[in-house]
Amino acid sequence: MMQSVYPDGFRAYFDAWEARIGSFLEYDAQLLETAARQAAGSSSLSDDADVAGLPFGVKDNIAVAGMQLSCGSRLLDGFISPYSATSVTKLMGAGAVPVGKMNMDEFGMGSSTDGSAFKRTNNPWDTDRVAGGSSGGPAAAVAAGLVPFALGSDTGGSVRQPANFCGVVGLKPTYGAVSRFGLVAYASSLETVGVLADTAWRARAAFMAMRGQDELDQTSAEWPAGAPGDRRHGGCMVAPMTIGVLSEGAATLEPEVAFGFDEAKSALKAQGHRIVDIELPSLTYAVPAYYTIATAEASANLARFDGIRYGNRPQYSDNPEELVDKTRGRGFGDEVKLRILLGTFVLRSGFQDRYYLRAQRIRAGIRHDFERVLHGCDAILMPVFPTRAFGRGEDGLSPFAQKVADVFTCCANLAGLPALAFPTGVAGGLPVGVQLVGPAFGEGALLDIAEAYEATHPIARPVGYQSWWGTK
Amino acid sequence: MVGDEMKYQSFIGLEVHIHLLTRTKAFCSCKAAFGDEPNTNVCPVCMGYPGVLPALNGEAMRMAATVALALDCALSSRTWFERKQYFYPDMPKNYQISQFASPVGVGGHVDIPARDGAVKRIRIKECHLEEDAGKMIHTGTMSLIDYNRAGTSLLEIVTEPDFETGAEAEVYIQQLRRMVRYLGVCDGNMEEGSLRCDANVSVNLSGAGLGRKVEIKNLNSSRFVRLGLDYEIERQMEVLEKGGTVRQETRLWNENRDQTEPMRSKESANDYRFFPEPDLPVFVADGAFTESVRAGLVELPYVREHRLIADYGLSEEQASFICGERAGADWFEAAVAESIRLGVDRSIAAGRVAVWLSTDVKRVLNRDGLDASSLAACRMTGARMAAIVALVATGRISGTIARQVFDAVLAEDAEPIDIVLARGWELDVDPESIDRAVDAAFSSEASAVAGALAAMSSGNHGKARSLGSFLVGKAIAASGGKAEPGLIKAAVDRRLAAAASHAEQGARA
Repeated sequence: MMQSVYPDGFRAYFDAWEARIGSFLEYDAQLLETAARQAAGSSSLSDDADVAGLPFGVKDNIAVAGMQLSCGSRLLDGFISPYSATSVTKLMGAGAVPVGKMNMDEFGMGSSTDGSAFKRTNNPWDTDRVAGGSSGGPAAAVAAGLVPFALGSDTGGSVRQPANFCGVVGLKPTYGAVSRFGLVAYASSLETVGVLADTAWRARAAFMAMRGQDELDQTSAEWPAGAPGDRRHGGCMVAPMTIGVLSEGAATLEPEVAFGFDEAKSALKAQGHRIVDIELPSLTYAVPAYYTIATAEASANLARFDGIRYGNRPQYSDNPEELVDKTRGRGFGDEVKLRILLGTFVLRSGFQDRYYLRAQRIRAGIRHDFERVLHGCDAILMPVFPTRAFGRGEDGLSPFAQKVADVFTCCANLAGLPALAFPTGVAGGLPVGVQLVGPAFGEGALLDIAEAYEATHPIARPVGYQSWWGTK
Repeated sequence: MVGDEMKYQSFIGLEVHIHLLTRTKAFCSCKAAFGDEPNTNVCPVCMGYPGVLPALNGEAMRMAATVALALDCALSSRTWFERKQYFYPDMPKNYQISQFASPVGVGGHVDIPARDGAVKRIRIKECHLEEDAGKMIHTGTMSLIDYNRAGTSLLEIVTEPDFETGAEAEVYIQQLRRMVRYLGVCDGNMEEGSLRCDANVSVNLSGAGLGRKVEIKNLNSSRFVRLGLDYEIERQMEVLEKGGTVRQETRLWNENRDQTEPMRSKESANDYRFFPEPDLPVFVADGAFTESVRAGLVELPYVREHRLIADYGLSEEQASFICGERAGADWFEAAVAESIRLGVDRSIAAGRVAVWLSTDVKRVLNRDGLDASSLAACRMTGARMAAIVALVATGRISGTIARQVFDAVLAEDAEPIDIVLARGWELDVDPESIDRAVDAAFSSEASAVAGALAAMSSGNHGKARSLGSFLVGKAIAASGGKAEPGLIKAAVDRRLAAAASHAEQGARA
């Protein structure tokens, strides 16, 4: 039997992978195939057409007109968005094509994507393991080569942690750099729309297409004219930079992760960067502060899901109050209910000073800590997550342990700073990687470092991976 | 009751919500109009769809600041919004974007007239901007919601508990209503809910400070504000008088029974769990904003009334009537200014225009179901009114003709002078014509002339006056009704006086 000729084999490739990893909740196979054929037809990509013609996946908490917007929740199962997020519209304006909606932890609350009301998403490197979360669908799909990039949302690490688990690049932009309009809010003051991509080059291309001020999001900012790193290096060596390395918490790392981290540090040094040790003492309080603020905001943000104007609701209710109660009682999963309750608790009148306001003071301290450190260096090198992709059941990580493990990622959200997770190798059959945190609007420099790293340390791909999308 | 009033002290604080006349809603670009077909002025933002964000309407902020400034509040240079959380089916997000820690304006005051002709100062605690909810209608087994009103801009104006009687509160509401209409930021319509009033009432033994607070809702006219509060004060006094304690609760004014009634209350008090709205940045007033706020400030009705009294010698009643609507006062001042320019004496001009406004102009507006607020669009412009006033004052037309000119201006939308000329309504003021007419009357009515002269010499002034008037009438008739009456009268008087003195001299000689 003759093997199907590239790119006609894409459909089979896609189906086979998707059956194993379950990354999409909805997709347009026709659009995907057309895009794959187009990408194969163009031998090399030009700078002017960074994302033009490319398909991309969208986490199911980011609106695409005419597509579902379930947020991984039963409550919004079947809800079709009447409008598109600004990030999606901008990418479409640059010629990219949204081809489907991707699995996630319900409303972005989780680190495994097992919190989805609909299906499991498996890690392409080992399908017994999770893809991470909450943007597990996007991470798995990009890692398997089903799409060249995907949009995720990062509230406390939801882009970077799954990217790290699946061995792809994950960028959480500066707060305000990308419009949040169309991103279903979990914790408004912390989250951003982010990119998961097969390469740093691609992450930069997608980021550049969607960033900038949006009148529909008054917390968004104009991209500053003097910000670094808009030039595409295409693997060229970058000017040496000063990279601060955070050694705290190293003891909490899984040995493979610790080993990978040290290797990356050495490799960056070998590339000419100056490596200095730094400390972020306030990090000790990051996780409690993060969960206090995130759940407080979530308790308000998720109040709108009452079944009255949209969403799944009981067939019959005696009165509007009962309708709301039943809708929420049946529609939300346990983790979401837990966080709404927590948020309601920390915002009670008379207790705000003890919880919410205290968390805000810690947040200010963390921001100050980062400012101080970034005064003396261009970027901070940190682990992404203490473990590689974890398994399920006994091999899993308890919900509490998962929250504690957010320490390295959630601090960038608290500080509003850009952070880039990128793969640096494979250990024990699973990807390992690091993250760089930079000053506000310093995405370019972070991408420069990662792109140069990638040039000498090509990103490893899972067995069976095929490249369909071309790279520069 | 007098004894009770001295024994007890009452405290009333008002919370007034006004709908700002912004073209679009407070946080989205939907049309801010709620009389339309239900759920037509809505979008994903004001319907609280997943993923949408509010975007502050600068116009709402400007209007809010203008009102705050007019109430002598201190404007906050940095203001932000909070989320006020509670579940209600007509509230799309189940939280209201409101202000808590940094209202647009704080610490203002207004003066209201007090009983003895003095003024009473009412302290304004704060003015804060927020969004309104939709409207729920229960029909049989269904509950329906219209979201057209959801997200429209509301300004809440909160007073300190400085009122003591329903009457004071009523005056304040009327004054506030007139003020926001002057500022053009609210139509002030209480029946339609554009201006809504809630009150906090407490009664206590005199000198013992505030009592237990009762909130009164559903006071949707200034009269109901007075009646509801007076009823509530009386009720609380009776409770205390009987040795009871007033329950802290929310009561509704029942306009059919003229009483307040307890509202079905939930067991626990709402905890609104306010926290800063993370979707909106802190609003920092820049120079351009402050400038636009100041530009929106107009002379307020109270101030204008006093100026009109001082500038034009109007009575308090006249000034109050004229200043009822800004358009009315504008019309008045334009008419007076133009009259003066046309040579009419200042106080005469003001008096005449004031009379026109309170009689014929008012009559026409009433006939058409309008009020002074529509005067700006009236065919009888201030300038045309001034032209009529000047025509009368210079004797070019009579008062009777002036009425006819007034009606013709409204009917034909034409200039008074054109109407007068086209119809030949102008009085004859030519001295020769006047003399001719008087000559004719004196020669045809010789016996009346003789009678008048005799009456004058015998000191019978009454008879002399009536015969003089008779001669004036004859002279006007001789002119075909066109001679200017004042000139005719002057000529008749002059001629009679001359004849009398001539006769006297003759007698002496």
